[in-house]
Amino acid sequence: MGTILAVNNLKKYFANQRAVDDISLSLQEGQIFGLLGPNGAGKTTLIRMITGIFYPDEGTITFNGKKFDPINDIGSIGYMPEERGLYKKMKIGEQALYLAQLKGLSKTDATQRIKQWFVKLEMESWWNKKVEDLSKGMQQKLQFVTTVLHHPRLIILDEPFSGLDPVNSNLIKDEIFNLAKNGATIIFSTHRMEQVEEICDQVALVNKGKKILDNTVADIRQNFKEHLFRVAADHLPADLTTAPFSLQKKDKEAYIIKIKEEKNSNDVLHYLLQNGCTIYAFNEILPSLNEIFIRLVEGTPTTRQFENI
Amino acid sequence: MNKIWLIIKREYLAKVRKRTFIISTLLFPVLYFALIFGAGYLSDKTKKVVNIAVVDSSGLFTKEKIDAVNRIDSNHLLTLSATHLATLKTNLAATPYDGYMIVPANAKWQTGFSNLPLYTNRTLSVEASIAIQSKLNRAWDQIKNERLGIDTAMLSIIKKSNVDIIPINVKDKKSNAGHSTLIGIIAAMLIYIMLMLYGSQVMMGVTEEKTSRIAEVVISSVKPFQLMLGKIIGIGLVAFTQIIIWVSVILIAYSITGGQKTNAVDGAIAQVQQIFNTVNVPQVLFFLVFYLMAGFFFYASLFAAAGSAVNEDMREAQSLSFPLMMPIIFSMIMMGAVLKDPAGPIAVWGSIIPFTSPIIMMVRIPFGIPSTVPWWQIGLSMLSLVGGFFFTTWFAARIYRTGILMYGKKPSWKELLKWAFRK
Repeated sequence: MGTILAVNNLKKYFANQRAVDDISLSLQEGQIFGLLGPNGAGKTTLIRMITGIFYPDEGTITFNGKKFDPINDIGSIGYMPEERGLYKKMKIGEQALYLAQLKGLSKTDATQRIKQWFVKLEMESWWNKKVEDLSKGMQQKLQFVTTVLHHPRLIILDEPFSGLDPVNSNLIKDEIFNLAKNGATIIFSTHRMEQVEEICDQVALVNKGKKILDNTVADIRQNFKEHLFRVAADHLPADLTTAPFSLQKKDKEAYIIKIKEEKNSNDVLHYLLQNGCTIYAFNEILPSLNEIFIRLVEGTPTTRQFENI
Repeated sequence: MNKIWLIIKREYLAKVRKRTFIISTLLFPVLYFALIFGAGYLSDKTKKVVNIAVVDSSGLFTKEKIDAVNRIDSNHLLTLSATHLATLKTNLAATPYDGYMIVPANAKWQTGFSNLPLYTNRTLSVEASIAIQSKLNRAWDQIKNERLGIDTAMLSIIKKSNVDIIPINVKDKKSNAGHSTLIGIIAAMLIYIMLMLYGSQVMMGVTEEKTSRIAEVVISSVKPFQLMLGKIIGIGLVAFTQIIIWVSVILIAYSITGGQKTNAVDGAIAQVQQIFNTVNVPQVLFFLVFYLMAGFFFYASLFAAAGSAVNEDMREAQSLSFPLMMPIIFSMIMMGAVLKDPAGPIAVWGSIIPFTSPIIMMVRIPFGIPSTVPWWQIGLSMLSLVGGFFFTTWFAARIYRTGILMYGKKPSWKELLKWAFRK
């Protein structure tokens, strides 16, 4: 599996904001890549440069091993923006057909693929309905179909699950996994961390136009762990001065402990057993992405201030 | 470009299939005919005979003279009254008369009357009082003629021996100012309506695409310029379709109604035939189509740029489009001055500057080429309009490509200019 998209030192400055300030990313084929960041971090600007809507001020984009050429390469990219993005008064079948043809599909090809997708997502009866007749979740499904119809090699989804009920969310999630399995690369932009943990292989966190984190989900959680363990035991020794850990918190059934530096979990177990404690459960507490996200972004102003460049 | 055709096709079909297009296209000719025939029908139906009693104490009006004038028009009757004056004065409603007048006994045929009162129990329409006055005057003329000893032969000399002038333009012998004015006004109105109507459609369409975020999806497939141009051309073709339908419906209707000899139609047809004889219709139609389409393209891209700057709020659209509508409205205000002097400096400059030329030039062209509008002026005007169209499209595209992706607060004019002129 090769690199499908490489972004090097990308910069885009607006009149009074460094929207994207020296960001580099590298995406492998078949990867599901989470692009995270608070509002106004520069995600949309970054995505717009990758989709060829904006030209970067500086830096390069390499797509499929060659310099990114918006006119030819946008046919291999599918982009689903966060909000709506459909003609309200247009019939659903015609709309999907139109968007597919704009991506360069022939009419017969497009019709055939739309029908397949409509069957797959239980939308067969929708063809002659108008978008305004659909619920928000149904529109989201249609939007998803129009994004992936032309078999893009890179799919960019901005909050694809907003407005979807759990059943339809799962339906789309399965399709996302399917697409990735078949070799498509997916950039998944969201604020919902639990979805990121569930879906993404790799995550980049962007804040104030800069990338502050870029790693696999597992590695990130490892890197940000605070050596916290959850111990369920009948009791802990009264005096913990010689213990290899310190007690952080005690809740109903368990103790939250923090292991001291240069000690490990075995030291803890050893100590507890020696002191006659009965242990029912023992596991490490890794921080959730949500906590890491908040920790990293916290302390910076929630909304970006305007600056002079 | 294959993609731009897709956009044009979608835009065109979406608009043409809409119920509002079908209704407005059909409704216009219907309203047009309703106006022509309905007005005649209504005034025919609402006719009411006004009967005025003339109490003549002077003996100047004879029954014969009154009868003669009554034959002219049966809606306003004069009757030499036999009813007692007292009855008329006290109980007019009981008499068959709507009003009465008293010709005093000392009336002199040499001096006539000033302010002879006409008593009525309801206010007469202006039309009715003018008709009654003119009837009385006809009878009065006869009285004067008899007293002066003017016979029919002399009367015919007095009436028919006049000085009548006919203006002849030596460069264009057929031209007729009345018809040219009429055609000019119709053409200008048509262009005005189409520019306003379809200009704002372009703007609303762009705003809708922006606020529904579809623009973002489409721009990830095509260039912003293609999306803008596709929209403008699509809507331009809709306007073109509508015009062609109207023109053919009107032409067909005229040829069908040609067989029947209704008064209203007869007059209209005669006039149309006269217009065909005095105005170079194919030439006018050619320039009408040119100025309509070129004018539309000149303004449409600006409307598109304005639309791209609008956010959710439709009031923003109003304040952004107002400056664009100003020159169009101003052209209509200029029209009066242009009609007065179609070769004057206002007319010449107005028809060359592209902001006003679509309307002003179409006001002038029916007056004749090259007699009123020399060929060089037409050439310059067309050239500057086409050149202007290229400039506005270039200018608007630069605003559009930024505006279509900008959400949030409404940009100021300064910011819009900055978008247009930054590299």
